[in-house]
Amino acid sequence: MATAVGRSTAARRALAVHRRLMRFGEAESTVAEPWVDRGTTVQAIAGHLAQLWTSPPSSGDSTVTEKGMAHARASVLNLIVMVADEEAASRVVETMVGLGVRHPSRAIVLSADPKAAGPTLNASITAHCNPGPEGAEPICFEVVVLSVHGDAADHLAGIVAPLLIHDLPTHIWWPGDPPFADPIFDQLVEIGDRVLVDTDEFSDLLHGLRRLTTLRRRSGVGDLAWHRLAWWQELTAEFFDAPRFRRYLPNLNRLTIRYAVPPAHKPRRARKPRGDLHAASDVASPLAGPMLYAGWIASRIEWRRYATTLPLKDGTLRLKLEGRHEMVDLQVEAVETDALPPGELIAVRLRAFGEMGAAEFIIERSTDEAVVASNADGMTALLRRMPMQLPSESELLAADLVMDQHDPVYEAAVRAAAVFLASARQVDLAG
Amino acid sequence: MTISSDIDEKAPSRPATARNPLRAGLRLQRMPEPCTMVIIGATGDLTERKLAPALYNLMLGGTLPPEFTVVGFARRDLSADEFRAHLRSGIAKYSRNRPVKASIWESFSAGIEYQRGEFHDPIAWAALAKKLERIDRDRGTAGNRLFYLAVPPALHAEIVRQIDAAGLSGTGNGTDPRYRGWSRVIVEKPFGFDLASARKLNRELREVFDEDQIFRIDHYLGKETVQNLSVFRFGNGLFEPIWNRRYIDSVQITVAETVGIEGRGESYDETGALRDIVQNHVLQLMAVFAMEPPIEFKAADLRDEKVKVLRAVKPMSPTEVEASTIRGQYVSGWVEGEKVPAYREEPEVAASSESETYVALKLAIESWRWAGVPFYVRTGKALATRVTEIAVQFKRAPLALFSRAGAPPMEPNILAIRVQPDEGILLRFGAKVPGPGLQIRGVNMDFRYGSSFAVDSPDAYETLLLDCMIGDASLFTRNDEVERAWEILDPILDAWASGEGGRLHFYPAGSWGPAAADELVEHDGRAWRRP
Repeated sequence: MATAVGRSTAARRALAVHRRLMRFGEAESTVAEPWVDRGTTVQAIAGHLAQLWTSPPSSGDSTVTEKGMAHARASVLNLIVMVADEEAASRVVETMVGLGVRHPSRAIVLSADPKAAGPTLNASITAHCNPGPEGAEPICFEVVVLSVHGDAADHLAGIVAPLLIHDLPTHIWWPGDPPFADPIFDQLVEIGDRVLVDTDEFSDLLHGLRRLTTLRRRSGVGDLAWHRLAWWQELTAEFFDAPRFRRYLPNLNRLTIRYAVPPAHKPRRARKPRGDLHAASDVASPLAGPMLYAGWIASRIEWRRYATTLPLKDGTLRLKLEGRHEMVDLQVEAVETDALPPGELIAVRLRAFGEMGAAEFIIERSTDEAVVASNADGMTALLRRMPMQLPSESELLAADLVMDQHDPVYEAAVRAAAVFLASARQVDLAG
Repeated sequence: MTISSDIDEKAPSRPATARNPLRAGLRLQRMPEPCTMVIIGATGDLTERKLAPALYNLMLGGTLPPEFTVVGFARRDLSADEFRAHLRSGIAKYSRNRPVKASIWESFSAGIEYQRGEFHDPIAWAALAKKLERIDRDRGTAGNRLFYLAVPPALHAEIVRQIDAAGLSGTGNGTDPRYRGWSRVIVEKPFGFDLASARKLNRELREVFDEDQIFRIDHYLGKETVQNLSVFRFGNGLFEPIWNRRYIDSVQITVAETVGIEGRGESYDETGALRDIVQNHVLQLMAVFAMEPPIEFKAADLRDEKVKVLRAVKPMSPTEVEASTIRGQYVSGWVEGEKVPAYREEPEVAASSESETYVALKLAIESWRWAGVPFYVRTGKALATRVTEIAVQFKRAPLALFSRAGAPPMEPNILAIRVQPDEGILLRFGAKVPGPGLQIRGVNMDFRYGSSFAVDSPDAYETLLLDCMIGDASLFTRNDEVERAWEILDPILDAWASGEGGRLHFYPAGSWGPAAADELVEHDGRAWRRP
């Protein structure tokens, strides 16, 4: 029998997820009386869902508007959230209510435990209506919480698939460390169009990245760690929007990425909360961000791995890459700090050499401010300070829910990151 | 050898202007370069209601560079702080994202300045130029300037002359790479009063600016639904094959407002509905709806196709004006539960005013695609509902298989593209009523932006301001479009003025317009929709 998501870690992660989701909780919403059925059947659940919007809610307030149409029911997507247990599920439901207008049409919150005793299938359904933008009709959606026990937990696809709204994209959000080897994971990924993970939370980053690159099938992959990099990518791309700087791109010869790790004397997990920017989530893989960033640049401007100069040690590594015209030094450096959450980038420096001298493009960040500077064309460095505007985790999630199924830029970045990390680690292992 | 020549030799096929490979897949396809937006006439309503909220929301969405700076230029004696407060109150009242986020406002307001001055006073313009130079130095805006003319068109000529005289109209005139800026100007409607005045205005603008520096704003084109119209037509395989005279019976374009003239008495009385709405919004909607697929989805190609549609609309003779146009004016009535006085009783409106507050037109696009398909257009103030839509009525099925004796014929299929409010697309078709027998009723298949996408639509001004800063003129109107629109409307205005084009009809406020407008359509065996 396959093992379900490991309970203790998973429960902890679910709590972190919940905390993040709570940041959505601003919108008001009316909720119909929940429908709860223990020891139920898929047919009964589907039946209840089918008549959910055709009968007036218990309050007696008719859902039919003057134009003879039911309240607008969003047709955006199905979202399946995999959580650790029923308790975690009920917390997620609470927060789903507050999603505002950025919500799935149908959310299925799923906890599965093949080892647990008790009824095979417990379900609860709540319907929510959020007031739309000013003057618009309310927008309604439903949340289905399923807990599956016993042998049926190994066959989740057959339970979930009949409950999806047809012809809508299905996103599967698997917080924490997805059990790539577990058949449950394969089953769910198979019925989804896009699976959302957070590589920051992978316990084995290299293994996870490799699994992501081999997730063939229909499914696209989203990654909260990737969305966290958006701000850095934006600033980096901006340097080269100007044609006079773009010509340096093929001549780049060094990329230095510095990122935060907790000070060595502190226990690995006891980290400072991520303040307003991030909830107190565990960052199991602080290297995820820097490696994805390196993978992104490398795949965009066609750098290939050439040699390992400094194997991965204490979070720091150096590789030699082959660029279009130059050999490129890739330096990823861990910086011990309490000021930033682990895994956050601290600085990115790109350097190009030419006969006019060196050109350098720099983004450096303190806790609440970033400095962007370029030094090229023999010109005085142009300096810019800007406040940090990192999105909250909930915004990252919302950003992913509107993504296309496949993101070739991300997929290429993951492939490159996996190659670089393997290269740095293999030598490490061999050494 | 310099770096640039080195690259040019090795990769001649990749000039420095090739796309930025790091942009692929990023949320913003391009962030505008740092620039200063000078709002001329900055203390007016438009700044408060539209521009300030749009800029704030762009800032909030992270789509403006942090160097972005706003300079208000107007006659009123304000301090920079008072001007900031003016913008802030506009954002607090009209922004789609409220309340104002303190951190965003802080960084936005750091880049807001004010210059007092009379528009004809060269000294004021010199002071503005000096201020802009200082901003370029202090904030790194690199000489990029966007002038927004938020003033009546009578002042445009004077203002662009002053911009030029102050040395602010040039693009890329410096040798220092930090000061190779661009200069653009955004012009609000009305683009003239008739063909002659539109030509004069275009000429005056062109004396100072090149056409690619001039951005004529028609905020309808910035609306998501209007942009989606092209996606709907050319991004789907299903609709374009039936988008022609073989399958489409007629098209109705409605721009209905419930409001009256809201204190615009004097200016509206000179303008009227035809100039106010049809010349720009309605003809632009029609052009986007009816145009041929552009070669590429780029400004020049799009505008070429739009102007071709307008060229295919034949100007009317006086007899045709009488047969195909209805002008109306509202008399007192009730709108949304409130009593509305007659148009002629509005302040600053002449008691015998002949200005139209309502227009219905039957237009023909004489092209291979549209020959024989009437385009019914109507717009008015103080109507029953506020709605803007384009509705396509398809031809009926060739054989009435399901019609029963005595029963009305089946409704034709309707595709309604709703521009505002409740942006979306609706398809209406017949379905069998469940039960014995064959009873058929029309049902709606309804797509709504508000409930179908998990993101807010940006306001039209956000889209258009950002496009202008990036230099993309796709959603702006070119001079030949403006002039052609006047060529279509001038004969109508002339016929009305000479009394040959039919009389003015009256309609009670809160109705759907004069009965004569119904007859215009019923004469062809059709009826107006009640959207």
